[in-house]
Amino acid sequence: MHTRLRFGRVLMYVLLIGGSIAMAIPMIYAALGSFCNFEDFYRAPWMPIPQRLYLENYRVLFTPKVELWRWTINTLIRIVWYITIPGVVAVLAGYVFARLRFRGRDGAFMFLLSSMMMPGIVFWIPTYIMLARWPGVGGNNWLGQGGHGFINEWPSLLIPGLVNVYYIFLLRQTYYSIPLDFEEAARVDGANTLRVLWDVYLPMLKPAITVMIIFQFVAIWNDYQWPLIVSASNTKIFTMALGVQRTLLLGASIKGLPQGTAIVDYPFAFALATLVSLPTILLFLRLQEYFVEGVQGFALKG
Amino acid sequence: MSATAQERAIVTPPHPQIGGFARWRFRHRQAIEGWLILTPILLYYSLFFLFPVLSNLYISFTRWNGIQGAPKWVGIANYRTYLTQSYPLIMFNTLMFALIILAVQTSLAFLIAVLLNQKVVGRGLYRALWYIPTLTSAAVTAQVAFAFISPFDGVLNGLLKALGQPIVIWTMSAFWMRIAVIIYSIWRGVGGPVVLFLAALQGIHREIYEAAMVDGARERDMLLYITIPLLRPMILFVLVTGMIGSFQIFEAVLLMTKGGPSNMTNVMLLQIYNDAFVNTNMGLAAAGAVIMAVLLLWFSTTNMRLMSRGQAEA
Repeated sequence: MHTRLRFGRVLMYVLLIGGSIAMAIPMIYAALGSFCNFEDFYRAPWMPIPQRLYLENYRVLFTPKVELWRWTINTLIRIVWYITIPGVVAVLAGYVFARLRFRGRDGAFMFLLSSMMMPGIVFWIPTYIMLARWPGVGGNNWLGQGGHGFINEWPSLLIPGLVNVYYIFLLRQTYYSIPLDFEEAARVDGANTLRVLWDVYLPMLKPAITVMIIFQFVAIWNDYQWPLIVSASNTKIFTMALGVQRTLLLGASIKGLPQGTAIVDYPFAFALATLVSLPTILLFLRLQEYFVEGVQGFALKG
Repeated sequence: MSATAQERAIVTPPHPQIGGFARWRFRHRQAIEGWLILTPILLYYSLFFLFPVLSNLYISFTRWNGIQGAPKWVGIANYRTYLTQSYPLIMFNTLMFALIILAVQTSLAFLIAVLLNQKVVGRGLYRALWYIPTLTSAAVTAQVAFAFISPFDGVLNGLLKALGQPIVIWTMSAFWMRIAVIIYSIWRGVGGPVVLFLAALQGIHREIYEAAMVDGARERDMLLYITIPLLRPMILFVLVTGMIGSFQIFEAVLLMTKGGPSNMTNVMLLQIYNDAFVNTNMGLAAAGAVIMAVLLLWFSTTNMRLMSRGQAEA
């Protein structure tokens, strides 16, 4: 009996370690490969261990041909924007739904909640058309005909998605978990709502707000579908995921290699992919508890 | 909560002789504050959610290119198109991918979470390892994955060459392309459920297992009769969100297979994207979006009904 138990346990550990290795291999492979030059890489395609740290792939990423800086700035602008506004909205709306009582409150909440049931694609097509046909901008006449509206311009990357119902939900749940006494005490002392929110609630909302910030960061950093739809023709406003995807397979031409050296420059692709994935990974490693809390929060309270 | 903090904190209600408007303001201050904050939010939301959803429904009954001219009403013609050409195949693919990815991903995540829940050294490291792929950009990793399977200069074929085997043109095989999409999606998506299951498992008190062991239960019994029933809500949540997620795979197909050899890996979201933004057939794309939304809504509500029925039994 004991031997069978032990065998089962060993098998489980093999599965765990084997599975974990399988999960890690693509990332290890990419990290290793990014430091290889062509010789090292093609000599041992099963695991490209570089003989010497070859930093050219990374150096090239910071040359003007790779517009890394532009994508970074564009994405950071979006991140700051999409943390601030949905954040403020969530804190305020969460308070309204959790702490205020008035007729129509629950109806309004249900109204907002109904959007969580729909897949994103249902909003995207009409929103795209709406942005493209916005009267008066981008060459459109007052009927919205003729030009390209906000498409391929900055506003289309900033206008949609400012009200995020998931975060309103999250903040509302967080307010519920805070006893009423704090606010009551402040109000007895004469605080108005603004002061109550700022001085009483905000410090207590820090964990929830942190979760919101990191999830938004990851979401906007990796956001591909929407930028693809609205900015594919304007390289000046490319964001991280879009810019990287478009450049991943172009290593050979960026490095100025002679024709026929390599169709796809894998070490370059790996270097770019690794570099660009680092911020979210590092963020996670530093703030793991918040990620777990956030993932759980949406599950248990959702 | 029966009384809000504002209501509890009333120290001095306004004197009955205060002017009418100030009194009305005080009495309705919660509503005033509430609507002050909610109105812009609801307006924005109506413009960017309600209006698009209704428009999408409308557009699905028209033929329009979204660029010039007005939409032309064609009734259910777009929906009829979804019964012809390669659309049934596309819908089949979407469903097939969703179910396979969901089943394998959820079982694997559950298994790994159970394993990690034992006293394992370095649990945090393992959890990080499993979750990190979820944090990467789908576009980036899918593009790199494509590089792996690329027929003539891909890494996989390089491996085969090194081993002296003939190269395989993976991209021409529907079977291998589907496998590739499935494996990639599982790799990318398994981390979330692992974290969720692990968190749920850690919420189960040890004493329950100890009591069961005293009663002579074996590990397998404990798993079947304690763990899984207790985890039922989380399992259902993972299934619902997993289904919604794997129904909407996009980058994997766009960048790895472009719909695969003759639409064999084409999925609805990719087709809708192509219809709308490549072929500018907004009506057809909108119809596809409506079909997707209906399917997903149906799936979510069925699952939620299952969940509440399960709770009622338990």
